[in-house]
Amino acid sequence: MRLLMWWSGRALSSAATLLGVSVLIFAAVRLMPGGFAETVLGPFATPEQKAELAARYGLDQPVFVQYGHWLAAVAGGDFGFSMISRQPVGAELLARLPITAELTVLAVAASVLLGVPLGVLTAVRARPTGGGAAGRLLSGLGVSVPEFVLGSLVVFVFSRYALGLQVGSWVPLTRDPAANLATMILPAAVLSVFSISVTARTTRDAVMGVLVEPYVTAAVGRGESPWSIVRHHILRNAATPVVTLIGTTTAYLLGGALIVEHVFNLPGVGSYIVQAVGRRDYAVVQAGVLLAAGVFIVMNVLIDLLVGAIDPRLGVMAGRRA
Amino acid sequence: MQPPGPGWWLGTDNLGRSVLPRVMEGVGTTLLLSSIAVLVTAVLSAAFGILAGYRGGYLNELVMRLVEVLYSFPAIVLAILVAAVLGPGQTAALASIVLVTIPLMTRLVRAAAVAVAQRDYVTSAVISGARLPRVLVRHVLPNVAGTIAVQGTYALSVGIAVEGGLSFLGFGVQPPQASLGVLIQQGGTYMIAAPWLILGPGVVLVAAILAINVVGDGLRDRLEPRETRSLT
Repeated sequence: MRLLMWWSGRALSSAATLLGVSVLIFAAVRLMPGGFAETVLGPFATPEQKAELAARYGLDQPVFVQYGHWLAAVAGGDFGFSMISRQPVGAELLARLPITAELTVLAVAASVLLGVPLGVLTAVRARPTGGGAAGRLLSGLGVSVPEFVLGSLVVFVFSRYALGLQVGSWVPLTRDPAANLATMILPAAVLSVFSISVTARTTRDAVMGVLVEPYVTAAVGRGESPWSIVRHHILRNAATPVVTLIGTTTAYLLGGALIVEHVFNLPGVGSYIVQAVGRRDYAVVQAGVLLAAGVFIVMNVLIDLLVGAIDPRLGVMAGRRA
Repeated sequence: MQPPGPGWWLGTDNLGRSVLPRVMEGVGTTLLLSSIAVLVTAVLSAAFGILAGYRGGYLNELVMRLVEVLYSFPAIVLAILVAAVLGPGQTAALASIVLVTIPLMTRLVRAAAVAVAQRDYVTSAVISGARLPRVLVRHVLPNVAGTIAVQGTYALSVGIAVEGGLSFLGFGVQPPQASLGVLIQQGGTYMIAAPWLILGPGVVLVAAILAINVVGDGLRDRLEPRETRSLT
């Protein structure tokens, strides 16, 4: 019962945050330079034409009424029309979403498959010399290289020297999965460097926190093999911060994907937003930013569910996120 | 475009300018912008975080809600939104860094202030008649200053990355003014023929972020006991 209460509170609080996000985005778009009427009618429109247009699109109504209309439309999946292409923004976003999703999923998979083992390994062999120090240096470097620097370098290396992988092109997953993977592997690698490093660092900290627990000492005393100790005693107890981090990192990856798509010329949501800002296509900016924030908020609720499943004690401690 | 040589240590660009002074100017722009932004963040986060953490109640709710909303945007997405409102330029870069770095810092300062507010020395100051500003400035602020210093250091490296990314996309600092992001963006055009155009500023940018992160790690080990750490 208490758990149920906690979940409904969590869902309600996320809904409130999402509402706040929508208000902020709506206000931001209103503040952007260049009014709607000027954009549509051009600089030589008469005041009468402007008034007529404003009446037709409801721009003469109070701001909160306009906000209500907009929110209702967005909730129904209607994101309006792009001012440049005159196409519905929702359909375009939907068509581009799989690319960004694939990029993010590949990067998250790399973080879990490489970052977690690396973190465990550097923690278990925590001597200041050799592998541990090298791992720390590498992960320190990994969190310090922005995607646009690494991406530019990768594009340079792979377009100057024929290394087998194409950059700057893209093949749809449905047409040729193997060729698609070949075009996605470099962008995903660039995107994942930061998250692998952060995952490794956090895993290392979490595992080192667990290593000093008495039950680990007891397991060593019983003569259990190191692998069995890691598997049975350490991983699950160290999982909570790591899982939470992966949720936070996903938000970071969504932002990173935007840069990576721009650098590698991939037709995803991120490059769509970047182009839209450059062309002052505000309906697209509005929808894209809302989508990014919405995905992040939903992601965080999912992560909370997952953490609750891994460690039931946490679900009851309602004040945890205070 | 000349590769690095004795007269031009980092090569020359498409207009025949030596890259080294451009990189030096770029470092100046980037560091100045990021430092100013982080100072603004530090002052605002300290004020709101301490007040919210110490007073609690509605103020706390309001501040935490706002922080939560800002925290829901991926950094570069928020920066792009800011740039779309303010128009590309230094102001947009500065405002983006502030808005990107403020949520985490306010959260952590507030958490530290909540812990400090329950300490005996704060209670005794209140009992002996100290007014709110005195309690906050003399008793709470010094005890959350460590958190502010550590987070400020990390915020500086985030700021450098945000400025770089935003300028790289063309929405931050505008050429001909040099910033590290601008130089890397411009170097990208001639990358195949002249890779030194992005190598120079790129290496400097990574070195700056790495160095600041190392300082941050050191400060954290010194100033923050392990238990109060957040996992970031």
